[in-house]
Amino acid sequence: MNSTAISGVAGKGLRVYSREAVLFGCVVLLVLFVILTAAINRMYHKKIHVLADNWFARGEASFQAGDIQSALIDYRNALVYSPGNAKFQFHLAQALAAAGRGDEGRTYLLNLLSESPGSGQVNLALARIAARKGATSEAIRYYHAAIYGEWENDPIAMRWQVRRELSEYLLDRGEVQQAVPEIIALADNTPSDDLARRKVVGNLLLRAKLSPRAFDVFRSLADVNYEDHDALLGAAISAFELGRYDLSLEYFDRLPQQEREAPGVVGLYQAAQQIDAISPFVAGLSREAKARRAADALSYARKRLQDCAAQKGQSLVAPPQTPLQKAFADSKELDARGSLQYLEKHPETVEDLTAHVFQMENAAADACGTPQNADRALWLLGRSRGVPVQ
Amino acid sequence: MNEPIGVASPGPATASPDAPSNPSVFSGLRALRQAWTHRIFTMREDQFFLFLAVLIGILSGLAVVCFRIAIEWTQIELLGSSLAPSTLRVILAPTLGGLAVALLVIYAFPRSRGSGVNQTKSAVYVSNGYIPFNTVVGKFVVCALAIASGQSLGPEDPSLQMGAGIASVIGRRLRLSQEKVRLIAPVGAAAGLAAAFNAPISAVLFVLEEVIGTWSAGVLGAIVLGAISSVVTMRAFLGPESMFRVPPFRVAKPVDLLAYVVLGIVGGLASLVFLKWLAYARPRIQSLPSWTIYFQPAVAGLLIGLIGIRLPQVMGAGYPIIDQAMHGQFTWKLLLVLAALKILATGFSFLSGTPGGMFAPALFIGAMLGGAVGAIEQHFFPGLPGTVGTFALVGMGTFFAGFLRVPITSVFMVIEVSGNYTAILPVMISSLIAYGISRSYIKVPLFDMLARQDGLVLPSVEERREQLVLTVEDAMRLDGVVLEPNHNVADAMKRAEGKESVLFFVRVRPGEWHFVDHSELQRLASDPGQNHTVADANSKGPLPFVFRDMSLEEALHWAGDWPALPVLSRADLSKLEGVIALDDILQAFRKVPG
Repeated sequence: MNSTAISGVAGKGLRVYSREAVLFGCVVLLVLFVILTAAINRMYHKKIHVLADNWFARGEASFQAGDIQSALIDYRNALVYSPGNAKFQFHLAQALAAAGRGDEGRTYLLNLLSESPGSGQVNLALARIAARKGATSEAIRYYHAAIYGEWENDPIAMRWQVRRELSEYLLDRGEVQQAVPEIIALADNTPSDDLARRKVVGNLLLRAKLSPRAFDVFRSLADVNYEDHDALLGAAISAFELGRYDLSLEYFDRLPQQEREAPGVVGLYQAAQQIDAISPFVAGLSREAKARRAADALSYARKRLQDCAAQKGQSLVAPPQTPLQKAFADSKELDARGSLQYLEKHPETVEDLTAHVFQMENAAADACGTPQNADRALWLLGRSRGVPVQ
Repeated sequence: MNEPIGVASPGPATASPDAPSNPSVFSGLRALRQAWTHRIFTMREDQFFLFLAVLIGILSGLAVVCFRIAIEWTQIELLGSSLAPSTLRVILAPTLGGLAVALLVIYAFPRSRGSGVNQTKSAVYVSNGYIPFNTVVGKFVVCALAIASGQSLGPEDPSLQMGAGIASVIGRRLRLSQEKVRLIAPVGAAAGLAAAFNAPISAVLFVLEEVIGTWSAGVLGAIVLGAISSVVTMRAFLGPESMFRVPPFRVAKPVDLLAYVVLGIVGGLASLVFLKWLAYARPRIQSLPSWTIYFQPAVAGLLIGLIGIRLPQVMGAGYPIIDQAMHGQFTWKLLLVLAALKILATGFSFLSGTPGGMFAPALFIGAMLGGAVGAIEQHFFPGLPGTVGTFALVGMGTFFAGFLRVPITSVFMVIEVSGNYTAILPVMISSLIAYGISRSYIKVPLFDMLARQDGLVLPSVEERREQLVLTVEDAMRLDGVVLEPNHNVADAMKRAEGKESVLFFVRVRPGEWHFVDHSELQRLASDPGQNHTVADANSKGPLPFVFRDMSLEEALHWAGDWPALPVLSRADLSKLEGVIALDDILQAFRKVPG
């Protein structure tokens, strides 16, 4: 085909060229157009990346400053220029959640999750939204997905942190049974040389009433650092929970006075002191002192039964029908064995006598509530010595 | 068209006699050029057409990339980079932009005014595929300015026309046959639309549903190729991400689909409101004094700016806002307000003659309505599957189907723009309901209505699609008499006794049938002393035959001057199922109402 232009004018006013020339022209045009588009596209994307980054930075600044509403607008503006940006979407979702609009944030997070279902960060954010909403089973599911998910930086530490958060969430909601395996797993995954984390674990064990484990953790921490007040306090409380009042008092005494008398602690300390003062089982007591404490305990318990019966309007001289009346009737039988002289002569009966005392305190506690002062000390002592609650 | 196009140049092995005797780089290049030329120009025209479709697709894709960048860049310059621009910008940008648009349309690009879909249709049906290149430039410049300045219009319709315009120019420059030039515009249209939506299937379906109106295999391949090439090109520059991201969901119980029935009804009614308003207001705006066209886009821009002071979401194409709605960022009340105001704002822009598309606003309105309906339904039925985003997505397809009357396109579009297949069932249900409502109350679809208001009578694809197709079965008679060549004539005459206007067909062999006149048989029967058989008769044939499912138009084509045609069984060509004559065909056509 002749590639030279054919002169003439086509029907609609176009110059007519040979097909070869036109096709060649199209290809040249195409190449030029591609180059031009690429250049424009490059410039444009450079511009919008700058805009997106600027808006995102503004959003971050607003968020850090606590101005959530401004952060929301800025994050949204950033997303206009980088709609698929997972980081921007994630931050917007977090800002929405912080603004109390968790459901809106959740949609962004679900999108992100559909793109990367194993993302630990996204699952954690979803778990927090579910937790805030009170959807416990959903929260647990997302927390677990976050624990077993992928983390970009320091995955082991992040997983530990998420499990800690889950444990705290469950304890806060009173789901102790569900929290226990999480806390045990957390304890198992805590390096023995990481004292700060072991302290956290100890506190969680304490909250979950896993006192023996908690005591072990705090005792070992206190052994490492004699001056570690948190460890001493944890050991004192966990020893108290275990009924090891002597140990508890020992740890309390190692604390500075100011910390011993802090609200929430002082009660335990005083109870430990009181138990130490009236318990016939304190090591190193003389036979007389032991007998005196046992006899005093019986008096306290009898008095407590009388007060409680009066409070409840029950007569203790009537035929025994109620637990209080039965306990009081039993105590009458102890008159002979409960005298100071008898106890001094027969120190082996102290154990049996105090067992009855503890039962009397229990009966009174069941009827009239938790006792105070010496009665409380006896009641706690009884519990620690395994006296069955009636 | 199986003959090679152009003049075949010698093949690569044939050296030019005046070529230099010493091989050199130039002779190598020349051989390469000759080989290329040979290959391209000895293609059959339909193959060459496919090759062109790819070229057009790439060019259209590039044009759309530049167009989208132009819109977004200009928008940043005019309205600022924030989703909530300042009041001054919100008022000034659309107003001054409208003024500039009016001047450009009046003085530089008069053909850029109006609907791109209708202009492409008009190119196909009226002007032999002619779309001037000036229109492509005009659509690019004017629409980019209009949309970027905040007019409530979208970039898809101009993209469609730019693609069609590029295709038209290339087709004419290459001196394709008139038929191919006419068909090449829809190829470009599909390419432009596909790149604008990042949705090749929807673009192909839309062009077939709305622009061409037929599923011609000849053009289908080229349209698909063009759409794919343009989308691949566009994705190479702007990325492969879907326009919207919605989490997948599952319709657990069939009863859950009732939620989408409600959405279909609401979407259908809303599309009716919008269509009725446009149909009512457009002729009245057009009848205003001619000097007002200088100010109509500016007034529209001012009105939109006033809305934008409180709700800037209604300005422009609104894709980021749709995305926000899909993420449940708005309350149902705000969603309803946005839908209503978008109808208003789009009406202002469109009625003022500002060039731009209705696709994006339709999607916006649908998304807002869908989100609102979803939020309300989920308030009362918290167990409903899917999020507000799901309803917004389905709502887009619903309103689109009701407003533009393209139900198949709308279903596929929803899937493509979200990359989410899980919405297919809800969107099919709600789209069909909306389409049904819209069609029941407004007989003429939007684009046909606009064309008729402009004095053009373009073929209505919807009317054509739903036209009653008459088949041979509707016109055939059952009173044909089958004769074998060895039959006795007297016996044959006895079989016709008591019947009026009997037609005799002779079965020579399966598929070969002849016709014998009644009078011819009578002549033979009256010949004394001779025992004539049917084979002795002067018969006419072999006859062309038809089948009962063939269209009457096709039967008419075959009828010719034959007295009648046999209607045969497709499974057995020796079995006569009926007979049909020219009169029967004409009578059947006359019976069709309208």
